[in-house]
Amino acid sequence: MTGIALAAAGAAGAVLLAVGFVLGRFTARRAGRTADPGLGTPVERATFHTLHTASLAAPPLRAGLTEETARKAASTLRSLLGTEALCLTDRGAVLAWDGPGGEHHRAHVPALAADTLDTGRSRSAHTDCADPACPLRWAVIAPLTGEDGVLGALVAYGSRESAVLVRAATEVARWVSVQLELAELDRSRTRIVEAEIRALRAQISPHFIFNSLAAIASFVRTDPERARELLLEFADFTRYSFRRHGDFAQLADELRSIEQYLALAGARFGKRLKVTLQIAPEVLPVTLPFLCLQPLVENAVKHGLQERERGCRVTIAARDAGAEAVVTVEDDGVGMDPELLRAVLRGEHPAGSGIGLSNVDERLRQVYGPEHGLVIETGVGAGMKVTVRIPKYRPGVHRSA
Amino acid sequence: MNQTYAVAAVTAVVLATVLIGALGLRISRTTSDFYVASRTVRPGLNAAAISGEYLSAASFLGIAGLVLVQGPAMLWYPVGYTAGYLVLLVLVAAPLRRSGAYTLSDFAEARLESRRARRLASLFVVGIGWLYLLPQLQGAGLTLEILTGAPDWVGGLLVALVVTGTVAAGGMRSITFVQAFQYWLKLTALLVPALFLLAAWYGDGAPRARFDAPAVLREHTVVRVADTVRIGLDDPLTVTVTGRVDDVPYDHGTVALAPGTHHVLAGTELAFAPGAVLPERAATGADPLGWSQPLAGGHDGHQLYATYGLILATFLGTMGLPHVAVRFYTSPHGRAARRTTLVVLGLVGAFYLLPPLYGALGRIYAPELALTGSADAAVLVLPDRILGGLAGDVLGALLAGGAFAAFLSTASGLTMSVAGVLTQDVLPSRGVRHFRLGTLLATAVPLGVGVVASKVPVADAVGLAFAVSASSFCPLLVLGIWWRRLTPPGAMAGLLLGGGSALAAVMATRAGLAPEGWAHTLMAWPAVWSVPLGFLTMLLVSLATPGRVPPGTPALLARLHLPEELTGTVPAQEVRR
Amino acid sequence: MPEPHPPRRPRRETVTYASAHGAHGAVPGPARRPPAHAPARSEIDEQTTLGHTYVRSLMRSQLRAALTALGALALLVGSLPLLLALPAPEALVWGVLGVGVYPVIWGTAHWYVRRAERNERDFTGLVER
Repeated sequence: MTGIALAAAGAAGAVLLAVGFVLGRFTARRAGRTADPGLGTPVERATFHTLHTASLAAPPLRAGLTEETARKAASTLRSLLGTEALCLTDRGAVLAWDGPGGEHHRAHVPALAADTLDTGRSRSAHTDCADPACPLRWAVIAPLTGEDGVLGALVAYGSRESAVLVRAATEVARWVSVQLELAELDRSRTRIVEAEIRALRAQISPHFIFNSLAAIASFVRTDPERARELLLEFADFTRYSFRRHGDFAQLADELRSIEQYLALAGARFGKRLKVTLQIAPEVLPVTLPFLCLQPLVENAVKHGLQERERGCRVTIAARDAGAEAVVTVEDDGVGMDPELLRAVLRGEHPAGSGIGLSNVDERLRQVYGPEHGLVIETGVGAGMKVTVRIPKYRPGVHRSA
Repeated sequence: MNQTYAVAAVTAVVLATVLIGALGLRISRTTSDFYVASRTVRPGLNAAAISGEYLSAASFLGIAGLVLVQGPAMLWYPVGYTAGYLVLLVLVAAPLRRSGAYTLSDFAEARLESRRARRLASLFVVGIGWLYLLPQLQGAGLTLEILTGAPDWVGGLLVALVVTGTVAAGGMRSITFVQAFQYWLKLTALLVPALFLLAAWYGDGAPRARFDAPAVLREHTVVRVADTVRIGLDDPLTVTVTGRVDDVPYDHGTVALAPGTHHVLAGTELAFAPGAVLPERAATGADPLGWSQPLAGGHDGHQLYATYGLILATFLGTMGLPHVAVRFYTSPHGRAARRTTLVVLGLVGAFYLLPPLYGALGRIYAPELALTGSADAAVLVLPDRILGGLAGDVLGALLAGGAFAAFLSTASGLTMSVAGVLTQDVLPSRGVRHFRLGTLLATAVPLGVGVVASKVPVADAVGLAFAVSASSFCPLLVLGIWWRRLTPPGAMAGLLLGGGSALAAVMATRAGLAPEGWAHTLMAWPAVWSVPLGFLTMLLVSLATPGRVPPGTPALLARLHLPEELTGTVPAQEVRR
Repeated sequence: MPEPHPPRRPRRETVTYASAHGAHGAVPGPARRPPAHAPARSEIDEQTTLGHTYVRSLMRSQLRAALTALGALALLVGSLPLLLALPAPEALVWGVLGVGVYPVIWGTAHWYVRRAERNERDFTGLVER
């Protein structure tokens, strides 16, 4: 939403800018020029030129405001503005200077821009240059803003005080700001995608996806109807797991996703996997961190079926305990060495097993506080029982968060 | 009355409660019925659970008792208990569910973003919970006393033990099925005997119950006066007395009492001849039985004021009862919460058609209960009195079981919510062990107070809890949901002033500190002035502290009022179903 | 088919994050999250801020429905004490308070639920279209 709006604003800004300039230049040079209207009027050609110049400045700026991008953008911006010299700063230092006079004016820029960086308002000022030959007599300082306020400033130098320069510099600064905002958006979008991928890696193992598809494939010839059903379960399961928004979900939805997971796991393991569900229905609306039970169930199934010949029973129970809901996931499988498990919970992943457990544990403690981490009862060959206590209400924990 | 049947019925109800609570989970052993097991509770089941928890001793026994003594003006109690749900429905139900709050303290914290406001709300939850638990335990004591002759504290202790035991041991794994079961049990237990009793009454020539004149005893009746009372006579009356009347001892002495007021000492037995006019109890302000007197007595200002006091307290107080608020959490979304409340209104309203019948029949067949101070037992003794024999025993046992279902369901719901709040906000640290301590504390306090406190008719005692709730949580919920300028200081001041003053007035009245006359009426029925006081304080203090409006208010109000399919929290087909 | 239990069932040990850090080790992590107001600018939160003006109008229409229902309750039930304070036959009191009031209350509630749901449907249509 915001991205599209910003892009639209950027495009509109560029067009306005171009039209403004074209009008200005057109009125200045209208005398005695004739051209083939089929190849565009001078106004139109000037518009194309401006748009082209602007488009050249855009790509560097979309990478954010750094010394490198500023240098690349500065020359195109100066030709866009048609000023004597142009300077770009960030909040701390001068990033780029384009045009003459840089050697003796550059040092004064921070002092000149300080006020604008502080207040975010454009201003114009006399340069007080001691050299009478220097063309840089007046400067217009305009802020470059991003989502978090003023990022830097654009300083345009002219030979005299000019309303056109003021207007042009502020418009260019606004256009640059839009580009910078888009740059920030790009960066945060990348961060979100990275975070999502990290989260998904922790939550859904690629093995599971591979195995599920393999199991479904095995039914395609023998039992196409079953294969079709499983494929639908798989689609629902992945759709739920990959949903893009929301940190929290209702227990009922989580259980539905677990049901799909178990249907898929059941397709692979057949009758060796037995599952019991015991649910107190009043805790079904409890809100809990998204996908925090599925790894526990996956873990239980994995442990339960490690010894190939034996069957396994996984029991998932949710019961009411006043202001909390207590969810347990229990299996009668191979269990785990408590020392190894402690290492896993400490964040050391010795054998690569139980990463799901430590991820869930961490998220639960983060959301509800240290006393709400996983309580795991296990021993080698003793099966495993994982208990989670979920408060029915906690500030900030709601489904739309 | 046959003790064996009654004790068996009570035992069966207790056992069923414990078993359903422990085992009443939805269990599925194949993944194919996972879907059924993990489907959220439908409005019908949830409404039965809410109604089961709501219909307490006051509804099952108290209303009939009050009607017996004071007449049809007492019907305002069930009307108020029902209409409270309408007010809750239109102002609170859906937004409360959407807030995600489990307890009222949670709501205070979510809305005001203030831990201090949360703690204050918690104190009121506990206070109202205790006020409401007290009559449940006393009612249980009375019931067991009538049934088995056990001392009056045994029944309360039994209920407290069963509830504390199951809740603290983690045995109450699922309360929804328990409460739903108990609604239907209570309805059956009241409906089936009522049909038999009405048939018998019709066979008896359908005598009219008269409330505008003193009751006339139909047969030879011996009344044992439990507490010292003053009785008023309009006409001379001849009775046989064993005990003390007007400080004169008698032993089977025949006494002709002159018109006027007489003093009958506790434990005295009065034997009336058939056709005798039953003397009326002369109530004083300190006499707890006189509590509802203003409601029924004369057509003066007191009566009108007391009626509106009752109406305000019950209409506005239901939404602030701790055990009512938590049940709305079970609804999957706001729209389901609304539909659930609509079903609750139907179920509760249907139930309340029955208790007044018992009150009227009691006025005809057992009017002497008014004199003994145990009018709350009217429902229990009627089958024996009207039908007698095996039918009377069996139906009496059914009623006894229903009464115990009422104590257990309301007491366990209240204990769960009070214990939850105690554990979270009052006791120092958290954990499973503290929840047990909280449970113990939640029942021990009202049990202890019940032993020392004077007996007030249960419906009256419950009315007090309503008054406090209406003056504290009603303003908090209504302004919290509909007014964006509410601030934590405003809310806390309103809770303290509105709820605090109602609580103080109620306590003073119960302690017998209220002076006679208007002062007594004003203090016994505080809602008329304390509810506006609570609202006004919240409004004015909030307006005076505009800088303290919680920053998340607009976002929270949007969440409270936007339908779920817009906030994307529930799949659209789920909501529209 | 029930599994034959092994003769000696291995013992389970309890493992938590705290025990993994030694029994006395302080457990890191936030003690309690401060009341968060929209910490993550997720799409849903954005939708609620965008719909902020809409929310006010929805609240107003829902409040109107609620006040209408309350007005009906006050008029039809709240005025009864005044009416019944007039000398009235006892049977009337019984009929009105014992039976008649309940259908009125339920009918009002039913009207309100339908109205409130219609308001929400209209609002959803307004916002989504």
